[in-house]
Amino acid sequence: MSAYHPTAPRWSDIREGDELPPFDLPLTASVIVAGAIASRDFMPVHHDRAFANAQGAPDIFMNILTTNGYVARFITDWAGPEAMLEKISIRLGAPACPDDTMRFTGMVTSTLRRGGDGVVEVALQGVNRFGAHVTGTAVLTLPAD
Amino acid sequence: MSDDASARLRAQLEECIGQPTGRGGPSVAPDEVNVPMIRHWVDAIGDHNPVYLDAEFAATTRFGGIVAPPAMLQTWTMGRPTIQGLAERGGAPSDVESRMLALLNAAGYKSIVATNSELEFERYLRLGDRLHASTVFESVSDEKTTARGRGYFVTWVTTYLDEAGEVVGRQRFRVFKFKPLDATGATA
Repeated sequence: MSAYHPTAPRWSDIREGDELPPFDLPLTASVIVAGAIASRDFMPVHHDRAFANAQGAPDIFMNILTTNGYVARFITDWAGPEAMLEKISIRLGAPACPDDTMRFTGMVTSTLRRGGDGVVEVALQGVNRFGAHVTGTAVLTLPAD
Repeated sequence: MSDDASARLRAQLEECIGQPTGRGGPSVAPDEVNVPMIRHWVDAIGDHNPVYLDAEFAATTRFGGIVAPPAMLQTWTMGRPTIQGLAERGGAPSDVESRMLALLNAAGYKSIVATNSELEFERYLRLGDRLHASTVFESVSDEKTTARGRGYFVTWVTTYLDEAGEVVGRQRFRVFKFKPLDATGATA
């Protein structure tokens, strides 16, 4: 499709049950703080460990905008630059804290044709040492070929 | 809480449904959708999808030009923070008042945890889009007991619009507002 995403699948090749390439995100304080500030979320639980501890959290933890950002990246790293996300629906579970790794996995759960678009639904999760941080679904379209 | 107090709280919470979450009008984005903020996001998340920064490439795609990463939707209308005194204020980046959450705080349900987020994108944002957003409470659950404690699930919906008033996206957001369990498993 493009030089950037030579492995992006064609719509006509995507099947229910296809697995997305897993993505291992190293969780560091830098990753968590960079995401919080880039999303303009200045809540101190996302950048100030002493504040997070005082709130009963073991450490700073990832904000939801960043979680959605990584979910979107996980989807489009697979689907390529022609993919357009229509929906990201997530349930939040365990916190994502530093000194850990979070593994994103996902599977195509349905495909359908809608006019000139191919619609793909993906079930996904991101799991770290505490358990599932994020569980949900994403819906995207690709130009149908 | 007595049954009377509980019923009164319930009635007050239900009055908030369909009402705006904050004071005043919609949140207006301080800036148009712009490359520097996109670049900051792309670098933070490590997302190298070329439609976000490579104008020449983006022009060849269905988008026809640079578009903002969709998950940035909330970012554009985030309020400007006051960093000085942030921790001393309890961590609130700006002065936001919410009647439903204030009612729950006053009734002792002081802890909060986000449980669900649903983002819907009607279209991807282009450079120069200037967003505004309005948020209303959608629902409140009955009092529930979970592993965290006893409290209420509160859901609000934010609608994002462009300068022409067209909806570009929505977010439905659910939190659990609760009294934590103490060491014995009882709530305060």
